[in-house]
Formats: sequence, structure tokens, C-alpha cells
Amino acid sequence: MVDEKDYLVANNLNEAKVLMHEHCGNIHVLAGGTDLMVALREGKRSGRDTTYLLDISNIQELKAIERKKVTISDEDCNTNEDYIRIGAMVTFDEAAHSGLLLKTAGALCEAAKSVGAQQIRNVATIGGNVCNAAVAADSLSALTILDAKVVLEDLRGERVLSIGEFITGPGKTAINEDELLTEIRFKPLEDYYSAFVKLGRRKALAISRMNVAAALAFEDEKITEARISPGCVFATPRRVQSAEKILIGESPSEELFMEAGEEVSKEMVRITGRRWSTDYKYPALSAVTFKALAIAYNQAKSDT
Amino acid sequence: MALYGQKQFHIVNHSVPREDGFDKVTGRATYAADIKYPNMIYAAMLRLVGVASAKVTKIDTSKALKLAGVLAVFTADSFPKMKSWARYFYITDTVRYVGDVIAIIAAETYAIAEEAKKLIHVTYEELPAVFDIREAMKEGAHPVHEEYPDNIFTDSIYTLRKGDTEKGFEQADLIIERTYETQYAEHAYIEPEAVVASEDSSNGEMTIHASAQNPFFTRRYVADILQIPLNRVHIIQETLGGSFGGKEEGVGLLAARAAFVCHVLHRPVKMVYTREESILESSKRHPFLLTYRAGVKKDGRIVAWEATQIGNSGAYNNQTQFLNWRACAHCAGAYDIPNIKSKTFGVFTNNVHSGAFRGYSSPQLLFAQEQFIEEIAEELGMEPLKLRLINCLRDGSTVATGAKVSEVLLPDIIEYTAKQTDYTKKYEQNKTQSGRIRKGIGMAISHRGCGYGAESPDAAGAFLIVNEDASVLLHSGIAENGQGLKTVYCQIAAEALGVPYENIRFFGTDTHRIPDCGMTVASRGTVMGSQAVKKAGEKLNLILREHACTLGFFDSGKGGAPNDRIAQDLVLREGHIFDPSYHEYQVPLADVTNIALWKGLNMAAYEWHVPDPCIQEHDTQQGRAFPTYSYTCVVAELEVDTGTGEVTLKNVHSSHDVGTAINPALIKGQIYGGIVMGWGYASMEEVVLKNGIVGSRNLDEYLIPTAMDMPNMKVSIFECDDNSGTYGAKSVGEPAIECVAAAIANALYNATGRRIRCNPAGLENVLIGRKLW
Repeated sequence: MVDEKDYLVANNLNEAKVLMHEHCGNIHVLAGGTDLMVALREGKRSGRDTTYLLDISNIQELKAIERKKVTISDEDCNTNEDYIRIGAMVTFDEAAHSGLLLKTAGALCEAAKSVGAQQIRNVATIGGNVCNAAVAADSLSALTILDAKVVLEDLRGERVLSIGEFITGPGKTAINEDELLTEIRFKPLEDYYSAFVKLGRRKALAISRMNVAAALAFEDEKITEARISPGCVFATPRRVQSAEKILIGESPSEELFMEAGEEVSKEMVRITGRRWSTDYKYPALSAVTFKALAIAYNQAKSDT
Repeated sequence: MALYGQKQFHIVNHSVPREDGFDKVTGRATYAADIKYPNMIYAAMLRLVGVASAKVTKIDTSKALKLAGVLAVFTADSFPKMKSWARYFYITDTVRYVGDVIAIIAAETYAIAEEAKKLIHVTYEELPAVFDIREAMKEGAHPVHEEYPDNIFTDSIYTLRKGDTEKGFEQADLIIERTYETQYAEHAYIEPEAVVASEDSSNGEMTIHASAQNPFFTRRYVADILQIPLNRVHIIQETLGGSFGGKEEGVGLLAARAAFVCHVLHRPVKMVYTREESILESSKRHPFLLTYRAGVKKDGRIVAWEATQIGNSGAYNNQTQFLNWRACAHCAGAYDIPNIKSKTFGVFTNNVHSGAFRGYSSPQLLFAQEQFIEEIAEELGMEPLKLRLINCLRDGSTVATGAKVSEVLLPDIIEYTAKQTDYTKKYEQNKTQSGRIRKGIGMAISHRGCGYGAESPDAAGAFLIVNEDASVLLHSGIAENGQGLKTVYCQIAAEALGVPYENIRFFGTDTHRIPDCGMTVASRGTVMGSQAVKKAGEKLNLILREHACTLGFFDSGKGGAPNDRIAQDLVLREGHIFDPSYHEYQVPLADVTNIALWKGLNMAAYEWHVPDPCIQEHDTQQGRAFPTYSYTCVVAELEVDTGTGEVTLKNVHSSHDVGTAINPALIKGQIYGGIVMGWGYASMEEVVLKNGIVGSRNLDEYLIPTAMDMPNMKVSIFECDDNSGTYGAKSVGEPAIECVAAAIANALYNATGRRIRCNPAGLENVLIGRKLW
């Protein structure tokens, strides 16, 4: 039985910020609701103790996927460079079929396609998925290899955090009670070939048992850049640099990808320790990583 | 070769549209949870979720009773003490599994009733418990029921003796033994259980709208709890959103609880399970621990077979004894083996109770037996197909109960399916694969006793009424469960009565309109239950022809015939009566019925059918267990990712001897459903129980296959001349699922070289050979 809530609708971003401020701590954002409604019915997690639900699905500013020059100063980035900006309320279905994302963030499109089933992808949003911060969230590993950042806004202004800074633990984020996540931005991965592989217990409506996002760039038959991020493996999303290093500077081969896959599993054990499930996860994670790298490489091959 | 298409019928043997299809597809169908009464209240059930074995010492309901809108709280002390059919208390103070109900709250709204649950304070002492078959059978294990101190459910023990196994094993060149294990599985019907109870205060009649698989069965619970005669209990079966054996005991319990609350509070009561409650309290597929031992000659002949088949009954006896009788009769698979010895029994544990579930033990047994056959073949160095063909049932064979079988299409079906799937070639090729993705092909075969057989008299009745406009009402006590029974019964009635299919209406099963015809179970509905429909149709066909004569429609001169005709000269077909010698003259049936009504002539027929008895000798189980058998061969093809354990089911070819295909489209529907349900059972479905606590409480955790998991499916329908069933029909509902998991397990072995002896084959089990929970 779902607890009754006062349901508020914001028609623009400013309205939403005002409502978040006004009901600070007593309001929960409804950004698609595919996780929230389940949590409310089970009486679980966030949303349980708030009086208000704020539906932000009418806010047009949060629905665009666009290429943009961002002028905010950010020490990592040159402000003259292009960014891809994904509004927080972009649905997984929209992300999966965005021409712009297909060109600049293939792994994210694949991750979006793998979420739930079509009915869920029609309403679930990328912002909601990131804020929910589930260990098995399909978008997080893909966003991690994009070195994506999230933009948080409240009435005072905005701040930009990396995915790593934003997600502080399983189901936990650095968002303030009156803040809204408004967009996700990243530098387009135009020279990379990226892939996302999900391992689930069935072909749809499956929570990732594990997943891997990987991106590779090549020059003269050599790997020049590599990014690997496994999902469901660590408490917070991260790249596995030790595995990336194995790849950089080398010629792609099955053996090399297997070695990198094995390194990802080793990193998992180093960080999380051996567990009852390690007997399975160790070989499977290597295999999923291998598969992601092989798919990325095959794209490169078919491109040339 | 006897593929569908050789028989000559007018209405049966054709794919007419479903009688209830339009209402279901358009959303007009009414389910029990849709029923509303003015002044209706709701009742909710309280359980000790998280405790599998306990004695409740105190229930403090005072706070709950103070909540506005709460009308009453019932506990074991304030509820009738009788036990249900499966020996349950409707409310108990001794919790034997997590689904046991310890209080019922009646309130003005569902929300208030649920809220009140949180205000009830329960004091209890936790008791020892046993959860696993092996654990429950250990010396000194906690007895789940005092009456069964060693936890062995003695009434469910069946022993079978055919020939002399000692001699058989002496003759054997090779003796091989293996053990297999299967899991708890949930029916996962789309509609959770629901009832609405309403009492007529003027005459004390209790009416229950229920999602009941068997309305007459449900009626007994209600009459018993209220201590009123059966003729004061009116059960109306609403459209059922699936059942598969699951809405028997569970719906009986729910109906009786609602009826009692309704009777005490004088208000209509609705009770609807949430999905979580449905998974908690509804019965599950029995887990089985299965050990088989076979003695084989070098040439492949199996000369001795021993089986030990132990079922986990869970906390209550919900049909284990009947299920074990069937398991006993099918203890040696679809093979002709001269010497067989088997023992089958159930064990009580503090888990959710096991009950009827499509197959009624056969998916479990075949998972083991059909892998065992391949393990024997491997030891012999023989192709499994060859071993099956050497030993499988054929004309003149004797089954495990010693009865001779005839009209056996099994060898033809096996060879046809193997050829269609290129089984042998693929099987051999797959053995030498390398690489990460491996292909596998696997086969399983079965025979299945049709209907109740010797379990219970397979009798049923039917009542047909022709109205003056020639429209027809059909009443049967066998009920639509979603399997298409209404459609098939209308076809059979139309064929026998000689009217168009569209003229017949079977609006549903209602305990006030027809005698108790036994349960809609055991795939008996078409094969035996409808015999009475055919009989009533044939009787009425004759009656109407007689009326046509009596009323002068076939007097001399009519249609150019020189003489008066009698009923025996005439044919009633497709709604017209005619003399085949003068067939230009056709009298529309409505012309006859219109006059017959006003002349006071009978236009209704009631018939009851009892098949020839099946009798077995009790201690050896030798004798005729079933009137006839259905035969099945399934071949599954799949791909395994040997890096991750991921399995993709690619193709399933399912071939069935259905005797006569009453409605080929519905048969295909049943078989497609059976394939998908079998795939779920083989690969992902398991009610995970930790110390009796259900881990998979809803369908986000209890996974069943989605549309995206479906393989390519090919169905081959075979027909034969065996006339035991109605119009020669045999069972198909349960044969549709029973071989699937076994064929998949064999395909997995073909792909990976690893036997899955413990179902299901999830990611971890496929990759590292064990489950991770």
C-alpha cells in the first residue's frame, strides 16, 4: 500500500527550486518514479518520511540532449571545448535513440537500452537513475567512462561534481536536501569506440548482476586511450586504471583483452575482498570486461 | 506418421476462436477483485513474517481496535477451530511456516485494515524448525506435526514392484546410480487470489465470488466453517487470471475466512492477496530429492530400475499423497523396463506448503529421469537417441504399473522430432566445440497418464439447455482456468448436438447450477470431463430430431419424400435437421424449437459419465493406472556463454500426441505457454527460502521469463486412433511443460560438459556448478 503524499507539479526550473527550498527536507523529487513508486509501496528508503512529492516531468529545460559550450569555469576543462549536456529528465528511451549520444557516447546508449523494459525506459530518467545511486544502476558505469559531471542547482546557484564525487556510497549522494540535479555533462568521446555489456538473469527487466562499460581509442593499430568501469562491483562507481594501463600502448588482441579483464577482477578482490560470491564474480567479471573490450574493438575494425 | 490433419470432424478438430477471448483482450472480463457490493468492508491477514516456527502466546489487539474504521480483530481464540482440507487452521496460534495467519482484521477500508496490522502486538516463543528434506529425516529432528514424529508423511508413501529387480540387477552388465534435486517454484499467475463474500440475511445463504480453480472444492471450506449445508453456499467462479494448480487450497482458505467475517459482521467482505501474500501463502511446486539406479545390458536394454523419490511437503499436507501416487506410476519414465522397484514419499518441513502445480510431479521427475537416461548412454558409449529408442514405450509395452499400452506413437514422435531438429548431427558436433559461446541440443521424452486414472473416479456431468431460438446454454462443473476449457466444451457440445459453435454459451461455473464434477485438474477437463458434454449433446440431438418428427416436419410429402420419417432417418447438423436422402429440404432447428417450447416438449439433457475403472494392487501399484497416455518429445537448442554462465534458449521443438486435437490453436497456445514456463523452471525460477523465510517476495525478485527470453518455438501435433478420451482427445496442459526443463538440462550438458543435477541452471550454477544463495 502506497502512503498518500501531497503531489506538487513544477512547470519550470525556478518553480521547482522554490518548492524545494520551501519544503526543504520534507519533499521528494519524482523524476519518472520507476524506483520511487516501488520504494514507497514497500515503505522503504527515501521518500517514506516526506509529505510532498515534486513532479518535475513538465520542466522543458530538463529534457534536452544538446551540444553546448559551457562557460562555467572548471579546473579540469577548457571552457572553449564542447560539452554534451543531458537534461536530468531525459528518459532512457530518448537517450537510447539520441543521434547525438550515439555519435559521442555509444556505451551510454547501450546502457540506456538495457534498462528494464520498454515501458520503464519510456518514463525512467537518467537524472533519477543517477540520484538513486543504486550499485546496479545501468547508467553509472557508462557515465563513469565518460568522466561525466553532474550539475546541481538550488536557489543560491549551481555546483558541478564528478560522478565519483557525487555518489558517496550505495544509494547515497552528495546532493543537498533543497538541490535538484539538473543536468549531466561530459566531453564527447568522439575519437573513442565504446561499449556497454550487461549481465542479467534474463533478457529484459533484469537488474544487472554486473555490467562493464569500456572505451578505447586507437592510433596506428595501437590502443592510445582506454577507460573501463565495472558496475555492481564497487560501492561507488570508478574506473579501473590498473586494467586501463595494461591496454594503453599495446596492439589489441584477445590475449590482451583477457589480461585486462583479469585485472579488473583482481582489482575487485583487492578492494572488496574475497566474498562468498567471488568464485562466480571473479571469472564472470573478467569475461564481461573482455566482451566489452572486444565489442569496442570490433566497432573500430568495422569503421576502418 | 500421424501429424494433425487426417481426421474428419465438423466443429471439433478446428481452431475456432476462444469463447472468452474478446472479453479478455478488451478488458471487459470481470475478475473476483473487480466485484463490489454496497456497504462492503475489507479484511487483512496478519502473519509473523520472518518466523517460520513459533507458538503465539499473546496477541494484544487493543490499540488496533481503537483505530477509527476498524470493526473487529479475529485471533485463533475467536475464530472457528476446524481445519481446512490440507489440515490448516484458518487462524492459528502455532506457526509452522511464514504464511500462517495469526490474526484477521476487518475494517471499513483496505488501508485501515493494513494500518491496524501495525498496531497489533504479538508475543511468541520461537520453536525449533526443519527446512530441508535431509535435515527433516535425521534422527531427533524437530517434528513439524506431532502426528508425524519422524516428519515422514506416512499417508503419502507409495511403493511399486514390477518383476524382480534383484534378478534384473544380476543380469545387468552395468549398474549406475545418480541423485538429482529440484527447487520450490511459484505458479506466478498474473491474478493474485481474491474473494468477495456476501450473506443474504433473509435466508442465511452465503455467496462467494472467487478466483477459484475448483468452485466445488472451495464450497466445502465455506460450508464447514459456517456449519451450514452445501445448498446454502453459492460459489461463483469469476474469470480466472491463471491458476496452474495454485488456486485450490489457498482460495479455499481465503473464501472461508471472508465468509466467517461476513457472517459475524453482517457486511459483505472483500479479501485480496497482495503479490507478496500470494507468494507467501500459496502452495509451491514440490521440491524433490530423486535417486535412480539402473541396471543395463551392453546392448542398451535397461533390465532393472530402482527409484527413491522424496518430496518436500512443506508445513502442511496439501495433496502430497495424490501427487506421490502419480509420481509412483511415472517412476521409470517413458520406458518399458521389466523389473522396477520404487519408493515415493513426502517429508514435512517448516517451509511453505507444496501443492498442485502444472505437471503434478512430472517436471521434477523428468528433470532427473531424462538426464539419467543420458548419463546411462554416456557410460555405455551409446548415442542417447539410440538408448531411448531401444527402451521407450511402444505398442504392446508395459508401463511401470505393469499395464499394457497400445496405439503408442512415442517412437514415431521421437524419430520425427530428432529428424526435424537435426538432433543427432548437432549433438555430435556440439561435443567437439571450442570457443566462448557453446551450442547445446538436448532431448527429453515422456508419457503421461491422462486424467485422474486410479487416483479418483474421473466422473463428471453436463447439462445442456436448448432455448426456443435454438441458442444453447452449457453447464459444467469443470471450470475454465484460462486453459480454454469453455471454448473446447462449446466445440464438443456443438459437434455432438449438431449446432453451430456460435450457438453455444458456457458462461461459467457456479455451484448452484450443476453437481460437483470433481476438480479441474490432472489435465482431465478435455480428455474425460467433457465426455458428459458429448453424451448430453448426442442425447439432445436425438430428442430434437424426435421433436421434428412429432411436430410433423418430416411427414410424408415433406421435402418430396413419400413416407413419414422417424428420428433415426434424420440428421441434425450445423443447426439444420434433414433427411440425407432428401437433403434439399432442411428444417432450421429454430423452427422446431419454437414450436416445441409451446407444445411443452423437453429441450434439455443432463448426462453423467463414469469411465471404466482403473484398478491397481495397493502394495505393488501393479494394474491399470490410467485409461491412456499422452506422449511427448521435446528438443531444446541453446547457447551458453562459458565466460559468464549466461544461457540463451534459441529453439524449442515440442511434439505431442494429443489423440485428437479438439482445437489446434488452443493446443499450440498451451504448448507455447508450457515451453516458457518450463524454461523459467529450468533457468531462473526458484522460491528462495532461507530458514523458511521467503526471499523472493514479489515478481521483481522471483524472476519468470519475459517476452524477450522466448525462444523460437515449433509445435508438432500428432493424432492417433485411441478412443479413450472424448472424440479421442488426450491430455495436453501438463504434457506441455513436463519435458522442457529436462531437455534444457541435457542441452546444457551437451554445450558445457557439466551436468546440472540441481535445478535451476542460473548464471552461477552453469558457470561454477553451484548456486550462490
